[in-house]
Amino acid sequence: MRLLALALHRLLWFVPTLLGLLVVTFVISRVVPADPVALVAGETATPAQVEALRRQLGYDRPLPVQFVDYLARLARGDMGESLFTRRPILDDLTHRLPATIELTVVAMLASVLVGIPLGVLSALWRNSLLDHALRVLTVSGLAIAGFWLGIMLQLLFSMRLGWTPLNGRLPGFPPRGITGLYLVDAALTWDWSTFVTALAHLALPAATLAFPALATLVRFTRAGVLDVMQSNFVLYERAMGLPRPLIVWKYILRSALTSTVTQIGLLFGILLAGAVVTEAVFDWPGIGTYAVSSIVRSDYNAVMGFTVWAGVIFIVVNLLVDLALTLVDPRERVS
Amino acid sequence: MSTAWFVVTRLGRDRSALIGLVLIALLVLAALLAPLLATHPDDVFELHPSERLRAPSGAHWLGTDRMGADVYSRLLFGARITILIGLIAVGASLVIGVPIGLLAGYHHGWASDLLMRVSDIFLAVPQVVLAIAIAQTLGPSLPNVILALSVTYWPWFARVVYAETRALQKEVFVESTAALGASPWRLTVLHVLPNIASPIIVRASIGMGFTILTAAALGFLGLGPPPPTPEWGRTIAESREFLPDAWWYAAAPGLAIFLTVMGFNLLGDGLRDVLDPRLRRSPARDG
Amino acid sequence: MTHGRSWLALALALLTVALAPAAPAAAQTRFVFANESPYDTLDPHAAFDVGRVAVRLNLYDGLYRWLDNPPKLEPWLAESYTVSPDGLTYTFKLRHGAKFHDGTEITAEDVRYSAERILAMKKGAASLIATMIAPGATKALDRYTVQFTLAKPAAIFLAVVPEIHVVNAALVKKNEKDGDWGAAWLTNNEAGSGSYVLDRYDPAIGFTAKRFASHFMPWGPKPIDEIDFRFVKEDNTRVLGMIKGDYQGTGGYLPNDQVKRLREAPNVKIVEQESMRIMMFQINNQRAPLTDVHVRRAISYAFDYDGFNKEILGGTVERNPVPIPNNMWGVPRDVKGYSYSLDKAKRELGLAQAKVDRPLTVGYLQGFSQTEQAATVMANGLRKLGLETKLTSEVWPAMVERMKKPETSPDLVVYWISTYYADPNNWIGEMFSSNQWGTFKASSFYKNPKVDDLLETALKSTDRKVREKAYQDAARIVVSDAAGVWIYNTKYFGPWAKNIEGIRFSPIGNGQEIRWLHYK
Repeated sequence: MRLLALALHRLLWFVPTLLGLLVVTFVISRVVPADPVALVAGETATPAQVEALRRQLGYDRPLPVQFVDYLARLARGDMGESLFTRRPILDDLTHRLPATIELTVVAMLASVLVGIPLGVLSALWRNSLLDHALRVLTVSGLAIAGFWLGIMLQLLFSMRLGWTPLNGRLPGFPPRGITGLYLVDAALTWDWSTFVTALAHLALPAATLAFPALATLVRFTRAGVLDVMQSNFVLYERAMGLPRPLIVWKYILRSALTSTVTQIGLLFGILLAGAVVTEAVFDWPGIGTYAVSSIVRSDYNAVMGFTVWAGVIFIVVNLLVDLALTLVDPRERVS
Repeated sequence: MSTAWFVVTRLGRDRSALIGLVLIALLVLAALLAPLLATHPDDVFELHPSERLRAPSGAHWLGTDRMGADVYSRLLFGARITILIGLIAVGASLVIGVPIGLLAGYHHGWASDLLMRVSDIFLAVPQVVLAIAIAQTLGPSLPNVILALSVTYWPWFARVVYAETRALQKEVFVESTAALGASPWRLTVLHVLPNIASPIIVRASIGMGFTILTAAALGFLGLGPPPPTPEWGRTIAESREFLPDAWWYAAAPGLAIFLTVMGFNLLGDGLRDVLDPRLRRSPARDG
Repeated sequence: MTHGRSWLALALALLTVALAPAAPAAAQTRFVFANESPYDTLDPHAAFDVGRVAVRLNLYDGLYRWLDNPPKLEPWLAESYTVSPDGLTYTFKLRHGAKFHDGTEITAEDVRYSAERILAMKKGAASLIATMIAPGATKALDRYTVQFTLAKPAAIFLAVVPEIHVVNAALVKKNEKDGDWGAAWLTNNEAGSGSYVLDRYDPAIGFTAKRFASHFMPWGPKPIDEIDFRFVKEDNTRVLGMIKGDYQGTGGYLPNDQVKRLREAPNVKIVEQESMRIMMFQINNQRAPLTDVHVRRAISYAFDYDGFNKEILGGTVERNPVPIPNNMWGVPRDVKGYSYSLDKAKRELGLAQAKVDRPLTVGYLQGFSQTEQAATVMANGLRKLGLETKLTSEVWPAMVERMKKPETSPDLVVYWISTYYADPNNWIGEMFSSNQWGTFKASSFYKNPKVDDLLETALKSTDRKVREKAYQDAARIVVSDAAGVWIYNTKYFGPWAKNIEGIRFSPIGNGQEIRWLHYK
């Protein structure tokens, strides 16, 4: 019942929040000093031609009118065309989304598969050498500039050792794909050489992206496990003589997992923010570089489109996380 | 007063918090005394093209950059920019976010919801992206970077203050004080604020680290203060085309950022442990 | 055999097949080029720049083509041309039997449509061509004869004709939408006749193309079957890729440090050629205090030319003091230009009427660190004179936009002007004619009636001696007026795979025409 109330409450605010986001982005994108219409019209267009193009694209109407028009088309699923690529924004986004998804998922997997066990161990062997080493790692994880870590990794593993490629997803064109996720496509078509190449290209950017997430995961898993270990019922069971491994499995791991679930939202935020910078360092053709280049080129529609997409994802994920939090721990007070 | 003493002594016993303090002190010293500590203080502007890309040596402790300027000296002056950006951006975020959080927390109903949704809007897009958009729109410069960071960081303060205010409202002493007829103003200033000071301070410390990282990212993308400003992020971007040979060029500013942010993070953690152990493990509080 | 074992055998067989390297198909040769600019459009009429020249050179053909160094104009789609005595009518005879990629024959109607299309789209070379022919001035006299009627005689018309890339009119018309001349479609597709046929295109990655065996130009004995032009933004990646053999060619204007690394690589050779590509600061002559010639001269004396050319660029460029490349005709050989001298600069400032009481904006290009470094060197010199500066950067299209009007253009902007066609007009003519204001080359906003006259004379006359004298005189005035700061002329240091032969470098194509290449 509480869940339902929360969900409804959030959904009620979903639309106004998204709307607010759109207004803010709209204002920002239209206040740009460079005139993208003139940029599109071309180097040699006369002012008259630029005005004609402006009228044709509808950018001469008052801002509120443009905004309402944009909303109307958005409702129909039309995000407009990129001023530069002349392709529908939706197409551009879907074209570039797999790259970011692949990177983020691999990074998320890496941080989860490495982070949780390390966090558990760190808690179980409290104050051991491993624990101290991990705690240093954890603090570093959130103190290292992502772009610098990426560059240093490139320096060591690509330039000096030659173990991995420097950047990009694949050299040149990928084999014709199904999902756009090169690992998945390669696996599905049994193309193992491409699979290995794609993995090699993913190694450094995923490591860069995963590092802060890993650090956070280790930290909170450790804290969660410590919490549980000191809780009454565990102490009781230990007093009763239950073997440690069993206690670990029964309570601690499970609580560690639940703490992870609640971390997903936070992780996702870290990963998405990190993706923008990581993609810039590794020339990764994903949403991050799309957003940055659209902003830099004053490509109105693309910026709006990206914001809509990011906003929707964020709000949805936030909602799910809050719901999960309430489910998992009713004691946690949520607004 | 006794609270302050309590904090200091407890903090003094926390080794990592002390390390954090030392690092921050080093940063502040570097910034304040840059003209004295630098071996080539003029290299903030001066170029020596014939000495470009020299490895670290006795003359140039951290080598020279692409213009032949001393990396170490420029690093010290870069510390000034780092502190400036951090202090003002976090300060401004605080000044914006705390009142909003207080208002939202104190009132119930649609006004409070509205304020929190507005803060959601600013959190919806990754801070980096929003900061990029603002910096690009206004033009890359130091004030604009600070503006962009302040505008995108205040929601974190608002959220913390909101949650704490709501929690406090349930506390007996608040209810009873209100019942006794104390005005909302009096209530806020005399009773609520002192109690939420701790989370705000913790947030500010962590916020410094976070803001400095984002500022460096903006500088790296070319949206920070223009050349020849020795901003750390921009220096890293400049160094890329000279790797792997001139590795010092990229390593030094990166380490500087790392130590600075680490300092603020460690201090923030230590403060949190001391001021409010209750906060230590709450997952939703971080960022 | 039991089921289990047969499955195992099958699995093993599949595994072997999957993991075994594919037997190479009948020796298909590939050539991969790493480009520093993205190929964001395939439309040959939308781009005129060197960064994306590979599209036009390999997928399309023009009436004539610039080849080799020093550049010579060779017949290409046209076999010959005649000019009327009054210099107003150019008639080209097309070769017979030349085909588009879809098999249809190239006719004069396609040439006419292409010329009209360039003018209509107003992009790329349109601004230049529009000064010489108007819409409707191109006629297809018969199936193989096309005629251009100029408004007034123009010495550079022939030099610019190669930029009228011929598109398949029928194909483009079929894909037109709302009267856009097929712009949306041609951005992502091709309608050409060039030596290679487009295979795959992705603006984030690049394009690949396969050899067009029935191209009208004969193929050598071992032509390249497939070309792959990729967008590789980072210098370092391109250099490493060349060293590792991932790429067989890349752009030849790399920083000196990178060229050195490539020279040491065993499988890379550096092709050194004198090119024509000037780097300069445009000075906004219309904005006070830059309206004062003494201020401009002071700025010209304040740039450390040797420090930049010799130290930062390692001597890979030649000082070029005049707004015409040293190796082009029309350069007044007696003009020494400005040198780095703070004394002379201060003296000039002393003579100036206008006071420099505000920071001067110095614009450079995002993503081109050499321009950033040049701007820094300039700022440093100006600082020594007591002049404040404010550096500002834009991506190239945005900077072009700003440079259209004297009000929005920065005080100083640094960039290059490459060889779009081999004629002094490509530089000094387009830079300092007052009727060129609004184009990216003319962001000096210079206005001098005497220079206008000289440049006009040079454009109208077809007598090389007359033109040469006019350009030399104009150059002398412009240098004396310190209308800009001209830094260097580039040399081309082209990294190529050692086993590639047949490279034909021209300052206009930069060697990216792959049809001439073959592996040793």
